[in-house]
Amino acid sequence: MKVGFPRAVYYYDYFPFWAGFFESLNLELVASPLTNRRIMESGLKKASDETCLPIKILAGHIQALKDVDALFLPRMVSTEEQTYLCPKLLGLPESIFPAVPQGMPVLTVNFNRRLGKRRLLAELEHFGASLGKSRVEVHRAFELGGEWQERFEKSRLKGLSFAESMEEFDPVVRPKRRKAEEGSQNLASATVRGKEPPAREGQGAEVTGREVTEQEVVGRGGSDRGVAEREVVGREVTERKVVGGEVTNRKVAGREAAGREPTGNTPEERKEPSLTIALVGHSYLTQETYANLNLLGRLQSQATVRLVEEVEAGRIAEGLRSQRKALFWSHARKILGAGSFFSRGDEVDGIIYLSCFGCGTDSITQDLLARVARREHKPYMVLTLDEHSGEAGLVTRLEAFLDMTERRVRRESDVSAHG
Amino acid sequence: MKVTFPHMGNAWIVIQALFEALDVEVVVPPPTGKGTLNLGTKLAPESACLPLKINLGNYIEAAAKGADTIVITGGTGPCRFGFYGESERQILADAGYDFEVVILEPPDGSLWGLAQRIRYLAGSKNSWARIVGAVRFAYEKSVVLDQVEDLVHAARPRFGDAVAAEKLYAKARQHLIEGTSYTSLHQVPLRLAQAIRDHQAAGGSGDKEPLRVGIVGEIYTILEPFASLDVEQQLGALGVEVDRSIYLSGWVGQHVFRGLAQGYRPLRAYPRLAKPYLGHFVGGHGLETVGAAVNFARRGFDGIIQLLPLGCMPEIVAAGILPRIQADFSIPIMTLTLDEHTGRAGLQTRVEAFVDLLERRKSGRLKRGSVLSVAGK
Repeated sequence: MKVGFPRAVYYYDYFPFWAGFFESLNLELVASPLTNRRIMESGLKKASDETCLPIKILAGHIQALKDVDALFLPRMVSTEEQTYLCPKLLGLPESIFPAVPQGMPVLTVNFNRRLGKRRLLAELEHFGASLGKSRVEVHRAFELGGEWQERFEKSRLKGLSFAESMEEFDPVVRPKRRKAEEGSQNLASATVRGKEPPAREGQGAEVTGREVTEQEVVGRGGSDRGVAEREVVGREVTERKVVGGEVTNRKVAGREAAGREPTGNTPEERKEPSLTIALVGHSYLTQETYANLNLLGRLQSQATVRLVEEVEAGRIAEGLRSQRKALFWSHARKILGAGSFFSRGDEVDGIIYLSCFGCGTDSITQDLLARVARREHKPYMVLTLDEHSGEAGLVTRLEAFLDMTERRVRRESDVSAHG
Repeated sequence: MKVTFPHMGNAWIVIQALFEALDVEVVVPPPTGKGTLNLGTKLAPESACLPLKINLGNYIEAAAKGADTIVITGGTGPCRFGFYGESERQILADAGYDFEVVILEPPDGSLWGLAQRIRYLAGSKNSWARIVGAVRFAYEKSVVLDQVEDLVHAARPRFGDAVAAEKLYAKARQHLIEGTSYTSLHQVPLRLAQAIRDHQAAGGSGDKEPLRVGIVGEIYTILEPFASLDVEQQLGALGVEVDRSIYLSGWVGQHVFRGLAQGYRPLRAYPRLAKPYLGHFVGGHGLETVGAAVNFARRGFDGIIQLLPLGCMPEIVAAGILPRIQADFSIPIMTLTLDEHTGRAGLQTRVEAFVDLLERRKSGRLKRGSVLSVAGK
């Protein structure tokens, strides 16, 4: 039997577990193709319009799984004992039924760690029985799934990219070879050719990311740029006074201690991608190259990028210590913990929070993290995606943010963390 | 210590009674209005849900009256409301409001943590017996309040003139606020029922049986007329009898007393009713919304309206499932999403159109099943 798994939402965090689980049960689990325009559009048609972008993409992927015998849509309630996943995931698969093609069987199981391992196993056994598998087989499958998941997470912690870590579990995902180079090509080609998925074989255009930036900014003229920067500032304008000069001094002191002292405004240095930027947010947004307009690739071509998945559990817990009440969403907890960790250290120069319109957990988390970042005087920007996200808007905001962060690093002037 | 709390419909009557019985100084925030919402919207994260924005406005207005401590219930997720207390504390602190926030919640599912927090609020001068007595009395008040609201729901469409019903409602509410003994509390619904009968006997009622519409959805938008732009009153004025999926006492029983008390309209039956459509709780009242919709459909209601604040996660899940109930029971269901930009005229138009459709369906001019595209899909 060939079982289809949509390449959306929980795919990005938990696919290795289910791949191992099904592998051990001798069932073939295949993921849907990479997100493309057709998938996105069919998803928008079938999903309820109130829901968030990832669920809409999920609806598209469900329809893209045509040549399978059944769909697998687990109900991932909780993957840790104290937390939940998002309510919209708790509502799967029922809430997404309108997107399931007529006559396609749907397999589902509740995955709830809050109830303890024994109850979870009982649930999985029940699911296994419906597939004609014995208890022993299910237990073995659970073990293998756990092993695969651990291997995936360890590999992410080591700093390997998502594609590199996922490759062995999902052959469709192939890591890019020459990452930095290709990233810049993507940026170049994307900027030139408008809204199209980034091409694998980069086409000509021997420009580096930074040059494209400057061309663009110059081309646009000063006024546009001003607008973009104000956008970065957002509601935080009022705070500007509080920050003042003391901020930049503090920051620079940190840099000197770290032994990466900037030498000044020489043109050579401007070309060097010396920034380190943390990109925080749900993995199903940061890794969803199509929906986020290759944000990760763009960033990587201009800066060293750190991600939530690379932060160890201990540091996340440390980052969360300033919160009086613990967040009860797994992902939000990781994002806030990692984000707080990035805010405090001198390792990263700025934080970009990638969110999407209608994300309930992010509406709380991004605000909490904004407060932490402000206290620590770390540049912070929220990018909100939706199905109408335009290339130009994203690039402009990104460039403005990177510009500001870079100027702060080079202590050109007192540039506040909020713009 | 001057305690304040967020508004949620008439809940303030109950909360005020509780604190006054314990001799705790309490500041009831001024009634929620447009200004309240504006204050809250300025501070709240843009994409936070509507109740959070109104809460913040309530606190700021209460601060102007001297409040320094906020009491709010908590939760363990996955609905955002469970994190309101902490989130609001940080927002207010950064905005320069020096509030102490007490989150009333059973932190690990035990009632002990709740008891400790009540003890903190009540201070050492109150004995446990007195605290328990005060809580019981306040709870009783919430049950009576629900009875009053239910009677008003029935009276509005039958009265013909909208003002008379609102007058009786205001009077009953006043009696409820003043009620300090169980006897006087239990008198309130009896007196209201009598007043309604008197009004009808005097010829002040229409003759036709009203349409019945079930209101389901997120509790704050159901209970707070400001958030729903008085949708219940609007429906009543259009000659529709309203019933709700959730009343205050049911929520208190479930959320605060962990099911030890069931309230006026118990929520217990809903998960079972929802089972064929949604097999797992999804936080907030998503599961209850689905269960209540099935319940209303089975009881032969003419239509169902779902209320939710924009971006409410559990209700979005429920909204994705309601069309199946609509098809299975052939009952029109309309979803109304509310946020700070919702306009009264727009909402009123939609409600009127919906009621119009229900009326035509009932009068037989539209066949069952031919009006299934009303969910706004």
